[in-house]
Amino acid sequence: MNAVILTSYPRTLTVVAVLLTLLMLAYGGAMDAVYPSLLGVFEWLETTWFGVIGKTWGAAFAFVEAVHLLGLALLGGCVLAGDGRLLGVVLTDVPVQTVVERTHRVFVCGLSICLATGIFMACGVATKIYYLPVYWFKMLALSAGMLFHFQVRRPLLGHDIQNLNPVVVKMVAVASLLVWFMVAATGRWIGFSG
Amino acid sequence: MNELIYNLAVWLDDTEWSRMLHESYYMYNWVESTHVLTLMVSLGMLFLIDLRMLGLALPDVPASRIAERLNVPMLIGFAVMFITGTLLFYAVPVRTSQSLWFRIKMGLLVACAVNAFLFHKRMNESVATWDIEPRAPSRIRLGAMLSLTFWSIVVVCGRFIAYDWFDCDTSPNTLIDIVSGCVDGQTRF
Repeated sequence: MNAVILTSYPRTLTVVAVLLTLLMLAYGGAMDAVYPSLLGVFEWLETTWFGVIGKTWGAAFAFVEAVHLLGLALLGGCVLAGDGRLLGVVLTDVPVQTVVERTHRVFVCGLSICLATGIFMACGVATKIYYLPVYWFKMLALSAGMLFHFQVRRPLLGHDIQNLNPVVVKMVAVASLLVWFMVAATGRWIGFSG
Repeated sequence: MNELIYNLAVWLDDTEWSRMLHESYYMYNWVESTHVLTLMVSLGMLFLIDLRMLGLALPDVPASRIAERLNVPMLIGFAVMFITGTLLFYAVPVRTSQSLWFRIKMGLLVACAVNAFLFHKRMNESVATWDIEPRAPSRIRLGAMLSLTFWSIVVVCGRFIAYDWFDCDTSPNTLIDIVSGCVDGQTRF
């Protein structure tokens, strides 16, 4: 039984191992040791071009925030359409493979917009977010989301979905929805913190 | 007209529920977060429909099917956004009604509604002839482009409302004061 699980889900197990390691780093003594040394990096981020522009021009920062939201809408739309299809609640008369495959490119586009604008915004308020626990939760959620999407969801759904256990497919959809909701919600909460 | 809007906003501001909502840290933030996060449902679905018309998403799925099937979650999302948006306005009525960005946003929402009506009308009239084409005809594509543009500016304006650059008590610019609807001698901001 153990051997079957190990051979059937190597990527999933790798992702779980990476996430557990990240969690152990986050809540164990390792993070306490690394955390102070990261302050220098965050202080440096504020001195970069992005940091200077973000701090100096409020309108530029606000505009990039809006583009970040547009990227989030694009990403969220693809996640909802794809996972909604896996759960059998939207686009039920379109083949699963088509929805999942065709929304992936748009998803990558949305994610790229979010990452690019997110880096810009982080530079503008680097020394503020460094002290915010919710920022680190978001980074953890984002890492989990990207690892899950590219290392678990996508390779798994690359197989013929008819041959996959329907319960596993639905669990993947629910996990994907939850992890991206967590990314968005923690991101929103950064604005209310500090 | 601006005085009427101001008086109405002051009346709303004086109501008990408006004050309670504004002063409730968690409730206000929950409402605002719901408003922002529902973007993923409403605009997410809308973007997929518009991108399908432009041939940039799901090009091998019939356009009418994408539009019909994603319409329901999109409308649910917009309904939640409308309710939470109304609550956000109700919590801070005076400042919001005199926000330049809010006024532009409201104008654009009307433009979005008109564009959506025309878009669906044109689509329903002709979709049978191009339903399985990867790209919709130019008239439909124009509607999709306008939709993407209008909604993107709506999001930008919505984000800008949070900033006080042109508030009536801070703006030194007369033209912006007029457009924002600032009232001479107003005591509430």
